[in-house]
Amino acid sequence: MFFLKEEAKVITLHPSYFGPNMREYLITRLNEEEEGRCTGDHFVICVMDMVDIGEGRVIPSSGHAEYTIKYRAIIWKPFRGETVDAIVTSVKPTGIFTLAGPLSVFIARKNIPSDIKWEPNTILGVKPDVAAINAIGTIKEDYLGPL
Amino acid sequence: MLLRLPPSLHYPITITSLLKKPGDEVKRDEALFWYVYYSEVEEGDGVGNIIKVQRKFPTRFESPVDGEVQEWKISKGDVIDEPVDVVEIYEPCAHEVQFGGMCAECGKDMTEASYNTEIMDSFRAPIQMSHDNTTLTVSEKEATRVEEDAKRRLLASRRLSLVVDLDQTIIHATVDPTVGEWKEDKDNPNYEALRGVRQFRLIDDGPGMRGCWYYIKLRPGLEDFLQNVAELYELHIYTMGTRAYAQNIADIIDPTRKLFGDRILSRDESGSLTAKNLQRLFPVDTKMVVIIDDRGDVWRWNPNLIKVSPYDFFVGIGDINSSFLPKKQDIGATAVKPAKPETKEHANGSAEKTTDVSALEQLVTMGGGDNPRLLQEQTNAQEETILHQVEDRPLLQKQKELDAEDDASAESTPNIDESQPRHHLLEDHDRELFQLQERLEQVHLQFFDEYDKKRSSALGGRVAALRGEKTPLKDKDVDLKLVPDVKDIMPRIKAQILGGVVMVFSGVLPLGSDTQNADISLWAKTFGIVISSRINSRTTHLVAGRNRTAKVREATRYPNVKIVTTQWLLDCLTSWKRLDEEPYLLPVHPDDRELAESSWLSSSDEATGSFWTDDEGNPESELFKDTGLDETSHIGYDEDEQAAIHDELKEFLGSDDESESDSEAWGDEGSVGKKRKRGDGDGATDDESGEDEDDSDQQGSKLSQRIKRSYKRSTGLREVASVAPTDSDESRMTLQADEEEQDIDKADTTQDQDDAHPDYDEDDLEREMLAAFEDDDDGEDVVDESL
Repeated sequence: MFFLKEEAKVITLHPSYFGPNMREYLITRLNEEEEGRCTGDHFVICVMDMVDIGEGRVIPSSGHAEYTIKYRAIIWKPFRGETVDAIVTSVKPTGIFTLAGPLSVFIARKNIPSDIKWEPNTILGVKPDVAAINAIGTIKEDYLGPL
Repeated sequence: MLLRLPPSLHYPITITSLLKKPGDEVKRDEALFWYVYYSEVEEGDGVGNIIKVQRKFPTRFESPVDGEVQEWKISKGDVIDEPVDVVEIYEPCAHEVQFGGMCAECGKDMTEASYNTEIMDSFRAPIQMSHDNTTLTVSEKEATRVEEDAKRRLLASRRLSLVVDLDQTIIHATVDPTVGEWKEDKDNPNYEALRGVRQFRLIDDGPGMRGCWYYIKLRPGLEDFLQNVAELYELHIYTMGTRAYAQNIADIIDPTRKLFGDRILSRDESGSLTAKNLQRLFPVDTKMVVIIDDRGDVWRWNPNLIKVSPYDFFVGIGDINSSFLPKKQDIGATAVKPAKPETKEHANGSAEKTTDVSALEQLVTMGGGDNPRLLQEQTNAQEETILHQVEDRPLLQKQKELDAEDDASAESTPNIDESQPRHHLLEDHDRELFQLQERLEQVHLQFFDEYDKKRSSALGGRVAALRGEKTPLKDKDVDLKLVPDVKDIMPRIKAQILGGVVMVFSGVLPLGSDTQNADISLWAKTFGIVISSRINSRTTHLVAGRNRTAKVREATRYPNVKIVTTQWLLDCLTSWKRLDEEPYLLPVHPDDRELAESSWLSSSDEATGSFWTDDEGNPESELFKDTGLDETSHIGYDEDEQAAIHDELKEFLGSDDESESDSEAWGDEGSVGKKRKRGDGDGATDDESGEDEDDSDQQGSKLSQRIKRSYKRSTGLREVASVAPTDSDESRMTLQADEEEQDIDKADTTQDQDDAHPDYDEDDLEREMLAAFEDDDDGEDVVDESL
């Protein structure tokens, strides 16, 4: 399911970036680092806007500046029972691998109706990993199946 | 699932009541039955003393799994002393397919553990089955099912599986940017050769650089090879390159994805960076799998392997993805190519890289794959290899050398628009794939011949088969029990070609290396060739790396021993044919022939078989020859050598390997130890028992084997050290009987397979002679006579 979530992130800036374009640079950094990130709980799909960039603080002893940026982002947190569209990436004897955006979903043979090709599926289980979330899906329910 | 009591309970236990009936649902951690156990505890007795009392503890046993109770194996009142099966529980999902720690069928978390967990659920599906994904695991049952389906499909289409290696087997890759420049430069002498070279760029690969061009040369005939072979085999890629690399190569050699599909396994999914494992792709059985690879050691010389000669187009580059592997042993790499100007450079280049790594060291290196530090080092080494190639441009250097040579001879300035054609570094004469295709066809044919035979006899019975009735072969119900095993078929084909060959190496392997476990030896052994370290009358071939070694000299004494170059062996092994030795015969120096004849006495097996005497001009062997002394005389061993021999002896006794040939290899150097033994006045010579003693260390009890092995320390004269004839207890007698049988078998097989084999009696005669010689000072006469 998609959410609009307000989050905060601390960005450290090297003194060489101090100058008139600092704000643009911070935005680029934020977009680069946040968009597409998987937190282990949800995926950050897109950074919408900045709520507050805040005051930069120079860190004593290094000269770097630290900004705490508050921003709003669209995130996607997959839930059990959620129905998603997914694209098949590979077909194995044991089942099919699909991608629902950043989420890789495996659909076991048992969860595929016998007279079938593929597509939308329901997530049966979600298990966060450090870098990615894997999910198990089924297309063996009413209203589920190939698109 | 049949539930078994854990060993951690306090046995004996008494069942007091069963809480579930067959058919009842049971949840995880829900009580299944009550039991009591007794234990001694310390209690206060109320007046301040502590006493030990026997107490009864009623306890619940909780189910570790969800499911439905099917059948109880125990009943109320049972006393149980040890772990037994208690109840059959039917699970709605046995979690046979798991994906990233979840059951792929019910979505349950498999890594959950509670106080009640005996075995984690994730252990139920331990096998990785898919090529490109490591997070999908299946249970053994599921793996078997999937594999059987695959086998049925293959049998129905009459195909086998073929695991294909990439680097140096079907392609040759380099990152040397020189290739790119030469490709663009029409005037470059290598321009023609580089025409078919493909290139791609890997962005994330490579150390600290944004993208690095890879130049790929396909082995000649590759396209046809793959097309033709794909009709007989289902193709899989198994490479030590990265995923991205493998994918890019696959795009080049198979742009339509019809040949390989997504059956690509790379270093990223292999599970080991140092060894390839067939079980990773075929976890249950490998009966229908053939491997082609240019390295035998990474497969541990798997019987399914067809070793191909490495493709070396970009000379001196080698395998860019092999930094993780143990160093390759350079077997006659110089000899593989016909003498061309660039061969010299190649030899120099590879000689530097090649160090003498023993097989044992290699195994250690292979086992070290788990060590993260080592891994890091190897990763760095891999990056360095790439970086070096990019920076050093080995090809450019070589071409420059070549040009310099040209210039020296033609006395002209290095100029691009030179009228004389310059020598070019890169040439393309490789014919391996054409041979390889033949071999694969042969294996395929044999396999299905055998399968059809078994099937027709199973279906139509023997009568029908004899009548030549064609049984309906095309029907779909294939019987998996009748599937023959490639592991049996391939060695059989190979043994038909070169079986019965007994060969001795001379000047091929570095001194002191293990003749039995060198790459070339292991490769030769897969063809049923017996490698021996000494020349005797059973020897059929002497493979000589250079001329005028002591062994070449010795071999001239035996008219049946063919003295051939290493090239003969390599050609035989790669072409799967027993080639005529004539073109490969080593020209023997006439001096060697004379010398061999005049110094017959001194050059006993022992003297020439030893590693340190294998070098021409060795003062020791010369000494023996001059003085006419046998090696049994106690000369030439200083204390250091003796200590070394003792160490070897110890190592040998501790070793598990009891094959005859191995002990022979050791026997040479251990001869001193034997001599000690023989010094105990055990002069009694019995020719018969002595002869039986020979070739027999695979038989009999452990003890007798050990005794035997210590006898083995002797070489040509070992029969003298045998047990005196009086010592003939029962075990020895039976042992001898065994040995006789074995001897006869051996003689039979060798003679069957090789008509040119020398008369077996001659060997015995020789031994008798030598024994007599040792026993009697006048032995010389006997020997002369028999000569």
